[in-house]
Amino acid sequence: MFENPEIAIDQIPHTEDLAWQKLHPMFARRVRLQALIALGVVTIAIAALHFVPNLPVVLILLLYLLLVIVGAAILIWPGVSVPRRGYALRDKDILFRKGVIWQSVTAIPFNRIQHVETSSTPLDRHFGLATLQLFTAGGSSGDLKIDGLGKDSAENLRVFILGRTETSIERA
Amino acid sequence: MNEPDSTTWRRTSPFAILFFIGRILRLIAKNAWQSLAPLFALLVAYQGDLVSKLALGGIAFAIVITSASLLSYWFFRYRISADSILIRQGVFKKKQLDIKFDRIQGINTQQNIVYRALGLVTVNFDTAGSAGNEGNLPAVTRAFADSLRTRIGSALPDEEEDKPEAETQTASLLRLDWRDMVRIGLADRRALIVFALIGPLIEQLDENIEEFVADFVKAAAANGIHFDTASGVSIGITIVLALALAFILVSIAAAFLRYHNLELVLDGRTLRSHGGLLTRHEHSMDLGKIQTLRLQQSIVQRWLKRYRMSARQAISGRKGRRGKVFTIPVVTAEIADELRSRFLHPEAGRLTQDPYSSRFIAISPYFMRSQILFAGLVPALLAIVALWQTLGFTAFAFLLWPPMVAAVAYRNWKRAGFMHDNHEIVRRSGFVGYRTVALLFRKVQRITVTQSRYQRRKGLASLRLYMASGSVRIPYVDHEFAKRLRDFVLYRVESSQLAWH
Repeated sequence: MFENPEIAIDQIPHTEDLAWQKLHPMFARRVRLQALIALGVVTIAIAALHFVPNLPVVLILLLYLLLVIVGAAILIWPGVSVPRRGYALRDKDILFRKGVIWQSVTAIPFNRIQHVETSSTPLDRHFGLATLQLFTAGGSSGDLKIDGLGKDSAENLRVFILGRTETSIERA
Repeated sequence: MNEPDSTTWRRTSPFAILFFIGRILRLIAKNAWQSLAPLFALLVAYQGDLVSKLALGGIAFAIVITSASLLSYWFFRYRISADSILIRQGVFKKKQLDIKFDRIQGINTQQNIVYRALGLVTVNFDTAGSAGNEGNLPAVTRAFADSLRTRIGSALPDEEEDKPEAETQTASLLRLDWRDMVRIGLADRRALIVFALIGPLIEQLDENIEEFVADFVKAAAANGIHFDTASGVSIGITIVLALALAFILVSIAAAFLRYHNLELVLDGRTLRSHGGLLTRHEHSMDLGKIQTLRLQQSIVQRWLKRYRMSARQAISGRKGRRGKVFTIPVVTAEIADELRSRFLHPEAGRLTQDPYSSRFIAISPYFMRSQILFAGLVPALLAIVALWQTLGFTAFAFLLWPPMVAAVAYRNWKRAGFMHDNHEIVRRSGFVGYRTVALLFRKVQRITVTQSRYQRRKGLASLRLYMASGSVRIPYVDHEFAKRLRDFVLYRVESSQLAWH
């Protein structure tokens, strides 16, 4: 017979002293490179505007100015946001934290995970990175995506988590 | 008719054609313009007077629909194997559906007036992860539907050896009478939606009506009767009131059609409801599959002192599909609490979902600040700055906006609240009406604790509990409490070996 004694809320072990694992050191660089590629495309698009007749030069210069400001922001931002991200693995669940202004910690118990997926884009592979996605029930809002893991640690995590999702279930 | 154990492919009764006609008509109603376009083209191309055109159109329409239904019926076959039901359908595009018994969350039946006379039902399989209306078995006998039900029920693993005598008995929980139908009709939100829809239409007709009224007044004046503005207004009010009354009557009639004699039955661990005037609707839901329980009260229901109760099941895998909802259209708060304690028995159900309960704990009043700031003050100031040039001092009228937002925020805050014990949590929210949502801790899928900069300064946090049916947010509670509650919920989830679905 399965036993499950009552426990009061304040007797639960705290998640305070967690060892947060950082993401792969190359991740910030990958995010910046991706941003640079996007900025390059936008720069070409703005440059093409030079060939449009009757367009005031001031407007194009304004666009360049905007590009510089936005570009600087998205190149600096990963340096701030990436160190804030991290995950902590425990015996029965995984926690993921992120956010600079809105900081959040998400916890997923292993026995609620439906399936696990690792993926990597060509850019990810160049830096030796991978993305781990954990799916729980409840549609598209129910999954957790961890970008910027090392290829090996993503694979290790996948195997570790999959090994723990198998639980015996009784019908309610 | 057919035995459930048959291993050959079978057709349903020819009366299934009725079901297919209904399905095609519904499909046309959904994509009305695209479907009817070829027919319109035909009508325009054909030379002749309007009556014969319409007659021809009608005949063509009937022929197309009937032959399509005949073909659908002819190609619809099903087979029942040891652990699943297979359905083959489709005229041009063949589809095979394999519904495993253990994926079936509930079996619903529908019986229109013809089927009722013949003792036939349309069975609808409610599966986790199915898309749309495909899992239907039209025009089978009721005995066959019942045998399917017991078969599928017994395919589920259960642990009824522990408490067999309490689990297998059938109990009638609730029966709605005609007064409840009136209440449902009065509280129907669709009546309001209809008003919103006809609003623009009336605006379009406005000129015509004005002309008509002017002519009417002129004619009346010629006959020696005088109309002043007041009586013009009263004519308008009478028309609006008559329309409102008509809509209320229609929605009461709709309530009778849908819910007449609705009875709620608890059959072991399965909740069933059946009711309806012409078409009999039968729904079932396994109590263990309930993800959240909701109790809602609109402004009309508040006046009637009634609530709408609904139990939500898991959302299926497809994007944009809502989870299956089991609805009890009208209950009192006392009955709702009695029902919920039965639904959540034995582990939980000792809390109340009555929104007027004094047991609700308020959330932090700082909740109002961000709403007033970001939805009120900032937009108002931006609007003043942006429109200063064009509007001048009139732009300061935007300063009226923040107090309005503040009033809304205050009301939202007053109505927000929560209560919990060791097994479940109930959250209350609302603006015009009230809404309470209850969930069992052990069914939570994941939890997020979020803090904005401001919340960090005040030691507050927002907690979001993700269920398989959607998420429930408890905003602006003490950060330490949020973390403790999160860890407790995690403990509950991780130590529970009961199925959440």
